[in-house]
Amino acid sequence: MEQVERLLKRTLPFQVVSPETLDGIAEISRHEVFKAGQVIYGAGQPAEEVYVLVSGRVAHRIDPDIKARVHEKELQVGDVFGWAAILEGEKVRLADVACIEAAEVLKIDGARLLELLRKDVNFGEAALKSFSQLISQQYYLPPSVSERVPTTLSKVGDTRTPASNEAEPQTASAWTLTMYRASAWLKSPDPYLMMVGFALMLGFWYLTVEVLKLPRFEDLPGLTTVVKEWFAEDPVYGMSIYTAEYYQHIWVSIRRVAIAFLLATVLGVPLGLFLGWSRSFREYVFPVFELLRPIPILAWVPLAIIMFSGSETPVIFLTFLASFFATALNTMLGVESIDESYTRAAACLGANRWQVFKEVIVPGSMPYVFTGLQISVGVAWFSLVAGEMVSGQYGLGYVINTSYTMVRYPTIIIGMVTLGIVGYTTSAMVRVAGNYMMQWRLREMALGGR
Amino acid sequence: MNMKKIRRSLFSRTTLRAIVSITVFLILWEAGSRSKEWAGFTMPWIGLVPPPTSVLAVWWDLLGDTGYWQSWYLSLMRVLSGFVAAMVIGIPLGLLMAVSRTFNSITFPSFEILRPIPPLAWVPVAIIFWPTEELSIAFVTFLGAFFTVVINVLGGARSIDMRFYQSAQAMGSSQWDIFKRIVLPATVPSIVVGSSVGMGITWNVVVAAEMISGGGGGGGSGGGLGFFIWNSYVGGSYEQIVIGMISIGIAGYACSELLRGIGGFFTPWLRTR
Repeated sequence: MEQVERLLKRTLPFQVVSPETLDGIAEISRHEVFKAGQVIYGAGQPAEEVYVLVSGRVAHRIDPDIKARVHEKELQVGDVFGWAAILEGEKVRLADVACIEAAEVLKIDGARLLELLRKDVNFGEAALKSFSQLISQQYYLPPSVSERVPTTLSKVGDTRTPASNEAEPQTASAWTLTMYRASAWLKSPDPYLMMVGFALMLGFWYLTVEVLKLPRFEDLPGLTTVVKEWFAEDPVYGMSIYTAEYYQHIWVSIRRVAIAFLLATVLGVPLGLFLGWSRSFREYVFPVFELLRPIPILAWVPLAIIMFSGSETPVIFLTFLASFFATALNTMLGVESIDESYTRAAACLGANRWQVFKEVIVPGSMPYVFTGLQISVGVAWFSLVAGEMVSGQYGLGYVINTSYTMVRYPTIIIGMVTLGIVGYTTSAMVRVAGNYMMQWRLREMALGGR
Repeated sequence: MNMKKIRRSLFSRTTLRAIVSITVFLILWEAGSRSKEWAGFTMPWIGLVPPPTSVLAVWWDLLGDTGYWQSWYLSLMRVLSGFVAAMVIGIPLGLLMAVSRTFNSITFPSFEILRPIPPLAWVPVAIIFWPTEELSIAFVTFLGAFFTVVINVLGGARSIDMRFYQSAQAMGSSQWDIFKRIVLPATVPSIVVGSSVGMGITWNVVVAAEMISGGGGGGGSGGGLGFFIWNSYVGGSYEQIVIGMISIGIAGYACSELLRGIGGFFTPWLRTR
């Protein structure tokens, strides 16, 4: 029994199933021995059982009428065959299988196997998926066959087993995974400790400012005042989620950051690529870049006001400047991070300088570019606030500063929290976009075993 | 031998090109600023910036002015007080979050909620809360470095290879030994990185805080470099704005380099790489 389980564990589809399912499968498998030259089954016969080869050599010849890329195959120990027994639709053998030398096999009843996999809520799905992978990758059969494996558990319904129908039919595996993760997270102490943390923070604010009225603290706007003001239809200090003004300020800030960020990306990424790519270009340009970089962005404020007319352009310029340095520098580091053997290999294969740039430098530096863009959004908000506080009309930084001078203290906090939310959202957007576009790299790292 | 090396690097192509590039930059700046005089029209943007020669002339006069050096001193003191506070509070907090899962689960979400708020947005609240402007500027400077330091310490501790813990536990280490021999040394490099990044942010913040809050208690000529810039702007002395910018650049750069040097002393195993 244990031996059977160990053997099953070595096969592709049953590697993943849970121990209970494995027990069940081992229970329903029967051991059988065939002599050399004996036919195990022939094409066209009814298919009832799935086979696992335990020892010996077996020839597998797929019916020539079925379009497979390779028709003949010698099976190895641990190979699974006879999977026609779990396909949907007509369960008919698709191949002739005969022993080249004496062979031992495990026979597993197809209908009962499906029933077992169906009960395995967590892993049955994956086992069925690897069945269809097996069919297309090891038996070289077209998708028309591999798709007949009941990939979702609900389709297994046609085996009509009365047992255990309580489990809801699962329709989407991504959804299942999300729900599984959510329930695992809820079972861990994390969410409750997080609540404790929030409660402590807000409680500290509420107690010190509004209940105990400690010296210094009592000057600050209290928790309840801020929340009331924020969600009031008729706010005392003129700004809440019901006033158009609130959204106007948010919109103006977002617009400024967006313009500056796009401009910085459009100019900074090419500059960084060239800085990393061409040595002489870097030696001529980088010193000036390094000369200007240590100057804090905010020290540019008065100069920006002098250089650019109006109140809008200086703020955008400051925001742009911060993003630009971050983007260009990270792109340059990205180019430098590329292993030199790639450029050499490309050159050996006859790529010219432009081709090396296009095929090696640009894609190779992308992970760093996205890191740079994440930093760039962060510093954009940082300098936007400073720019808006010092000069400019509208915008969240402006709200915070004017609310201070006009003694509308709760509005200051509303502005700060809104700024945090909006800033976090934009950073998250850049991060998600970056992760999505950098999937190839993650996959590469996973394949490399890192 | 060593002199030879220095001489070679001094007269190398890289240095030459750097000199050429900076000279061209300065000439373009000079020409652009004086475009009114030789071309008859003001070039956009650059035409409104004072030329480098007059900046240098004004700077030369300023070098003997105690008010100017007083601004350096005041800004540096504010940066240092905020920065030291951020290190003293941030490093233990980061380590505690790295070591205790429960503590991490309690504090990290709240921390992540406060982090996206830019430090400068705290300026008005800081002014309301702290009794003196000096303290409120120091508080905002502290915030600027604090989040960066904590995140870096935490990131450094999280990137420690699991196998180090496992082998230490297998050989019977106590919790304290694991902390002292694994967590602490492994996080030192990221503490160094975090503090030099934090130093950069600190200078940024101090300038802005000085501009917004109006220079602290020093009054007229002695309110820090940020106030020096703002005052020059209000007074219409555009050369002094540029001088202020360059001074802050030098100060910030020197502080970061100093930190990197100190960091190198604490992480000798990274030097050979």
